[in-house]
Amino acid sequence: MASGEVAPPVAAPRIRSEWIERFGGQMLALVASLAIALAIGSLLIVGYGESPITVYGAILRSSLGDLDGFGYVLAIATPLIFSALAVAVCFKAGLFNIGVEGQYLVAMVTAAWAAVTLDFLPGPVHVVVILVAAMLGGMIWAAIPGILKVKTGAHEVVTTIMLNGIAISLLAWAIRSPLKFTSGPTGQNVDIRTDNFPDSALIGDMGKMFGIGPGAHLSWLFPLGIAAAIVVWFLLRRTRLGYEARAVGTSQGSAKAGGISIGSTQLRLFLISGALAGLVGMQQILATTGYLGSNYVAQLGFTGIAVAFLGQNNPIGIVFAAILWGILSRGEVALQIKTQVPREFIIILQGILIMSVVITYQIAKRRLAARQLQRAGAAGALEDSAPTVEPEVATQGES
Amino acid sequence: MTSDVGAERQGAPPLVVLEHITKRFPGVLANDDVSLDLRPAEVHALIGENGAGKSTLMRVLYGMYPADKGRIVVRGQEVKIASPRDAIGLGIGMVHQHFVLVDPFTVTENIILGNEGQVVLDRQDAERKVRELAETYGFRVRPDAIVEDLSVGEEQRVEILKALFRGVEILILDEPTAVLTPRETQDLFGNLRKLQQAGKSIVFISHKLDEVMQIADRITVLRRGAVVGETTPANTTKAKLAEMMVGRPVLFRLDKPQVEMGEPVLKVRDLAGAGKLNGISLDVRAGEILGVAGVEGNGQRELAEALIGLRTPEEGEVTLDGTPITGWSVKDVRNAGVGYIPEDRHEQGLVLNMTLWENSLLGRHDDAEFSSRIGVLFIRKIKELAERLVKLFDVRTRSIDVNASTLSGGNQQKLILARELETDPKLLIAAQPTRGLDVGAIEFVWKQILDQKAAGRAVLLISAELDEIYALSDRIVTLYEGRITGEYPPDAAPEDVGVGMLGGATQEVAS
Repeated sequence: MASGEVAPPVAAPRIRSEWIERFGGQMLALVASLAIALAIGSLLIVGYGESPITVYGAILRSSLGDLDGFGYVLAIATPLIFSALAVAVCFKAGLFNIGVEGQYLVAMVTAAWAAVTLDFLPGPVHVVVILVAAMLGGMIWAAIPGILKVKTGAHEVVTTIMLNGIAISLLAWAIRSPLKFTSGPTGQNVDIRTDNFPDSALIGDMGKMFGIGPGAHLSWLFPLGIAAAIVVWFLLRRTRLGYEARAVGTSQGSAKAGGISIGSTQLRLFLISGALAGLVGMQQILATTGYLGSNYVAQLGFTGIAVAFLGQNNPIGIVFAAILWGILSRGEVALQIKTQVPREFIIILQGILIMSVVITYQIAKRRLAARQLQRAGAAGALEDSAPTVEPEVATQGES
Repeated sequence: MTSDVGAERQGAPPLVVLEHITKRFPGVLANDDVSLDLRPAEVHALIGENGAGKSTLMRVLYGMYPADKGRIVVRGQEVKIASPRDAIGLGIGMVHQHFVLVDPFTVTENIILGNEGQVVLDRQDAERKVRELAETYGFRVRPDAIVEDLSVGEEQRVEILKALFRGVEILILDEPTAVLTPRETQDLFGNLRKLQQAGKSIVFISHKLDEVMQIADRITVLRRGAVVGETTPANTTKAKLAEMMVGRPVLFRLDKPQVEMGEPVLKVRDLAGAGKLNGISLDVRAGEILGVAGVEGNGQRELAEALIGLRTPEEGEVTLDGTPITGWSVKDVRNAGVGYIPEDRHEQGLVLNMTLWENSLLGRHDDAEFSSRIGVLFIRKIKELAERLVKLFDVRTRSIDVNASTLSGGNQQKLILARELETDPKLLIAAQPTRGLDVGAIEFVWKQILDQKAAGRAVLLISAELDEIYALSDRIVTLYEGRITGEYPPDAAPEDVGVGMLGGATQEVAS
């Protein structure tokens, strides 16, 4: 095929149809994976002697049945969007940032410090400064594995796991000594936590605009999360850094030979990832509690990895994945009240969902690639990439 | 070659007959009603361009793919071959391009793997058998050597021995010489002759015409999945075979343009380190193609990578148009006016999972033309560039929005060439530029390299194919163990250049 006059001359580009095909294929894969996960979930429910319709109905009613419920869902989704974006940014360049967990813990400390000490700043400015402090905290904690990776080759999975442990202790130390609760009336400062943040540090409730009760704590951080997703999409698809990142992520050799500095690209991505991770904890300390205490919500960094997988590392997909995750999490409470199914069922369902998404997407991707090849009519490329059945395997048995 | 073998072959009934084999992959008709027969003790060459269906046909015979239509007759009986195990049972063995050996095991262990016999392994007995087998056919390989210490050529011998150990009478070799040095190729041919004398039949898949003319008794040519002809070396020529393969006449010698040579563009002095370099000095002048010949693994890759900036040499100096560029980054070297065709286009040339337009940008993503100061890409401009490159170099593709992995090897190489030459580099470093390409694509690449010369630019051509070196070079140097061991005019005898390739210090001074 290489150069015979076999193929027609360059055909007019059919960009749109291809785009539709890709989009349609993804939607199909999504629906299929949801259906598979729900079907397997139904089997489990039946095993508990409940009706799937009752159980799924309870989950949906509690999360989508009324505005309040949906407010809760979005509030749960908010930190997960940032967390999954942080994971996805690194993943695009072939880096596995397990350290989002530690990065957001450190960021909560720097943010709490800014909230407590910079209380002279006026309202909106104070919030912005706190968010910047959080992002810087996350960046510093992400820079360490980044620099270690680039300078010494230390694997980021190992270093970030270690740093996660250090971050937990760092936070515990911070709320015990430098940021300790001081201002309350005597006898009340038994909790291990910071002072209540001044009102200027808190992020306004967005829910009341839509008639959602204050209990949901839906804040302006949710739209900020969507904005962040769009920025990340733009960064990856439309900028030099994103281009370099994707090249490094799929072929380091070709990227290097093309003059891309692997180390600098990886380090910059770690920093961006850290900045995003920094915003993960803001929902809980600036919108929900108004202080940083030892009862903080942990594990959001790890959940972000799951959500990133669910969203296939696509920034827009991540927003939907985080909301879906929120729906399921919100349903946990309803399960306990309305059914005999234990709350752990939700965790199992989330696991099944991730597996079915990953598997169906992989199949869809392969299908799409095969179709691309087919249309390119590249018999040669096909022959090159056709699976070579190892004859060894087949001859094992005979003797 | 031996006439008695030939005579016997004529009369004997065919050992294997493939009748009207059709094999369809989604969207591709890989084999279209192909018929072929294989006689006892013959070397039957199966040739054709990449994607012509050679490997597919043989994989059908070896039981790896079921045929959609057609039948297979072995020793006069119609057979169903559903798996490689069935094939081996019928005495049919195949050696693939990519070897399947267990690296930490010895040669013997690999050969008997899956064929161990009893529960307790009699190692000495096995080794003796392997040694006898190797000696019978003249394979030089030690039964107790560890596979990971072997050269590629030796690994191939192990693969062939593995098939023979299983009592194979019909041996299919898929592009066996693609990984061999010229010397190893001749060794292999010696082995094949011995196998033939012992009555074995061999199917030799290739697209190297010189080798086919040398080794084959019969030649079948495939094009686009169908047989276009069957002939013998005595009744054809390289040019005729090439025309059958490609479907149009192919030039093997292109006219070198006469160009006034200018000042040296690239000067390399005592370059050492970077893995394998041992003090290399050379000059390439404007309008000159300097061919670096040598057996692979003697520092070719290291030289190219040190020059483009992928490796940092310990000693020595590189200057480009008088500017020292030693130790510069790839980006700086490229911006100074160097184009680079890497020897491995998948590892270093293209990002296969990115689109053609994204690949067109590689190496130029920093140009102010294609992205703003803060780093936003000008997608439309980049796509225009890609359309231009694809059109100019006739890259066969449906669209610039498909991934580079969907292109055939020749078209991938065209895209790389187009990208690297678009910037009018002062110096082009071309490392094994036609590796794995078929004759039509080779002709195209050669022509582009000669056009560079005609435009007065300098070209450093690094190639393990002596043919290629001769077809293009104005001057030839030989590389051996990281040193330049000789310099020759373009009309030097190949034997002389061969001496240099093996380290002989025949320092001829070229004009």
